[in-house]
Amino acid sequence: MYNYYLNNNLYRSNSDFYRNDMPKLFSPEVGYDNGNMFSNLYDPYKNYKPENLKPKNDRERLLLDLSRASFAAHELKLYLDLNPNDNSMLTLFNDYRNKMNELTNEYESKYGVLNSNSNNLNQTPFNWEEGIWPWEAKFNV
Amino acid sequence: MFSYKKRLQYPINIKKKDLRLAKYLVTQYGGSNGELAAALRYLNQRYTMPDNRGKALLTDIGTEELSHIEMISTMIYQLMKGATLDELKEAGLDTHYAEHNKALFPTDANGVPFSVAYFATTGDPLADISEDMAAEQKARAVYENLIDLTDDPDVIGPLLWLRQREIVHFNRFKELFEYYEKMLKNGKLKNNNNMNNMDNSIIEGFMMNNNFMNNM
Repeated sequence: MYNYYLNNNLYRSNSDFYRNDMPKLFSPEVGYDNGNMFSNLYDPYKNYKPENLKPKNDRERLLLDLSRASFAAHELKLYLDLNPNDNSMLTLFNDYRNKMNELTNEYESKYGVLNSNSNNLNQTPFNWEEGIWPWEAKFNV
Repeated sequence: MFSYKKRLQYPINIKKKDLRLAKYLVTQYGGSNGELAAALRYLNQRYTMPDNRGKALLTDIGTEELSHIEMISTMIYQLMKGATLDELKEAGLDTHYAEHNKALFPTDANGVPFSVAYFATTGDPLADISEDMAAEQKARAVYENLIDLTDDPDVIGPLLWLRQREIVHFNRFKELFEYYEKMLKNGKLKNNNNMNNMDNSIIEGFMMNNNFMNNM
């Protein structure tokens, strides 16, 4: 049924055009820190500022970068669920998704497998169970 | 199906043990407004959404809530790590120790075990999505209460982040609610529990109607 939604002419539907809450996006870096990619939806609590994540080494930097790309793609996915005609958002979604996949592959080849269906699951002892599990503090940035 | 990624959606690295805080935070795991209730609510409601927009959104947000369960669980685990029996007694977690030792268990802040009675499925999309909007607002309010109860930046950071997710999800559910509400007003969505009136053929017919874009 999604055939009816397809819009290949790069114009927005009337409903989108007249909306006054047009989405405005943060960068993936700022959006990830904020927990919200959409500046028009961002709503801080009291005077609290979001945590400023600072990676201390290459592993943490890669983990942070792939988490940012993954989060940005996820946020755009939720938006696209409700706005399936938005071609520019779809392009951006795929940019972030590709970046996440590239960074994930780089991280896995250097520091250990993240995805349960990874191509890098090819070592004995079985490398799925190797490394630090994510709920241990030292895994995280 | 679901597939595990061996990382958190947002990093948790708590350096300071704090058992009182662990006792409060557990409510966002197993309390009435917590992440477990959220995940089960959306992942149960998604089957009877009237079209693919609702099915997609409830699947994707329900899946994200599973990652939030993991974040909250990680926070509780790290806050309790290395606690002595005396410290547990002092924080009122001796009752938790009696049944669970230091294992995770979904309860609210008073130790009441999780219950599926915390959420509803009615088969009515507007009723279900209104509940989802309310759930996101209540979870946001509870995150604010929890932020008020601590001054540890390692805890406040992830709590602020999770609070912001509630705001995004609330807005997405609101958009879905308004979309279905308009369809209902236009007589294009039958608001009852009869599945025959809610299958995709009705929506498809609606989408082909020339008035669709003007009505929206």
